[in-house]
Amino acid sequence: MTPCAVTTGFFTLGKCGQMAVAGCPACGRALCADHVADGGLCPECAAARNQFGHPAAAAAYRRRAHRHRTAQEYTDVGWYAGLDTYDRAPFDPGAGADQDYLDDGADALVDS
Amino acid sequence: MSEGHRAAYVAFDRFPSAKGSAVHIRHMAAELFDRYGGGLLCVLGGGGLPAYQREGGVEIVRFGAVVPNLLDRAEAFSAWVADRLAPHRDTLRLCHVRDPWGALPALSAGGRLVYEANGLPSIELPYAWPLAAPSTLAKIRDLEGECLRRAAAVVVPSQVIEAAVTSRGAAPERVHLVPNGADPVRPGLPRPPAAPGRYLIYVGALQPWQGVDVLLRAFARLADLTDLSLVVCSSVSPSRARPLRRLAERLGVEDRVTWQHTLPHDEVAAWLTHAELSVAPLTASPRNLDQGCSPIKVWESMAAGTAVVASDLPVIREVLGEHGRLVPPDRPAELARAIRVLLEYPEAARDLGRRARQHVEEGFTWKHARARLAAVYDRVEGH
Ligand SMILES: [Zn+2]
Ligand SMILES: [Zn+2]
Repeated sequence: MTPCAVTTGFFTLGKCGQMAVAGCPACGRALCADHVADGGLCPECAAARNQFGHPAAAAAYRRRAHRHRTAQEYTDVGWYAGLDTYDRAPFDPGAGADQDYLDDGADALVDS
Repeated sequence: MSEGHRAAYVAFDRFPSAKGSAVHIRHMAAELFDRYGGGLLCVLGGGGLPAYQREGGVEIVRFGAVVPNLLDRAEAFSAWVADRLAPHRDTLRLCHVRDPWGALPALSAGGRLVYEANGLPSIELPYAWPLAAPSTLAKIRDLEGECLRRAAAVVVPSQVIEAAVTSRGAAPERVHLVPNGADPVRPGLPRPPAAPGRYLIYVGALQPWQGVDVLLRAFARLADLTDLSLVVCSSVSPSRARPLRRLAERLGVEDRVTWQHTLPHDEVAAWLTHAELSVAPLTASPRNLDQGCSPIKVWESMAAGTAVVASDLPVIREVLGEHGRLVPPDRPAELARAIRVLLEYPEAARDLGRRARQHVEEGFTWKHARARLAAVYDRVEGH
């Protein structure tokens, strides 16, 4: 049996492992019946192709996103416009206190 | 699928990960998604995590763009989140965020904003990015204030950070205390095979303000206790431990220090359970004094029934109360003395651990934290 290679889980991730019935035409990974998304793709490839995996949802998404942009809902993006190179340069990778800062996804600003 | 989500949780953190923040996100997001029958989780990816997952009613999307500069990355993340939230504009009732980078797009996404302030970038950033200009940090502070003022509710894990967010303009009646917690460790966890005989343990990340160097110096003063080891359960990769390993060598204790890196969360519980003492040597830096935190390692040590020796700081007092041994921060000699005394009186140490565990079980499990968060959501929805 070929096990399904889709990653599942919320906090503890693992491979799905159910019996595969197909392969994703885009990335080749083995897929069980539950994980075959639109177009026979794996969920990740399907999401990458049309944002949300479903053609109707993707169309709705583009419509709304467009309405959004034109209605300039996300005006707060302007805050970043107030940051110049003087503000930004100290946050280049080489400027960190720890040169290994980026090696383990330490983007979090708060470590517990 | 074409139906939009009613809830979103947005975090500029990799999830899942070995860090305390991931444990926190796990429980807070679970409460949100249980309440709304699913939702959208927007987090950082990388490290082989899938860019997209669907788990029942929950969709997980991970930001995977490689943007080297941190502020550029935050900007790209905000724009990416805005795009992810846009399709749900008509249905979104609540957005839960934990940083200004997520709050910015969430503020205009429809729905009410719950801002969970575990830390403040304007305080935290200079530790990792020492060249950041004061004027830049002032801009970030303004942004924090703006997001905190516009949030329907602000959730904080400690009174120290509660004071910090109200000083930034958050209305006190909208700020709610939801301390972190820990789930009781199930009894009878087997001893980890790699565990040394008798050991002290440190669990957590390795930034300078964590004070692991103070612990190493204290440990060097316990050299006469030849059967005693120190286990450092680091939530970050070995490369980050290099300076501390060099320090251990200089102090001549490297043979008695065991390093474990990015262990799965459930394995850490076993290491904690079998330790003589758990040490939280946080330094008296502005980061810990002004911003505060609710150190998950302390909660988890208590839940494991292991006595805690920790720095005497307001944030630690809030968590530990009477149920641990407090020592002045940044003083290796005093820390060593406190450890030595507890090791000499193992019955007292066990009693301390037992009471700490009981304290957690009675009011500070994740179930309690989730109930407190649910009460905040109730209030937000009631308005
Ligand atoms: Zn695929
Ligand atoms: Zn599958």
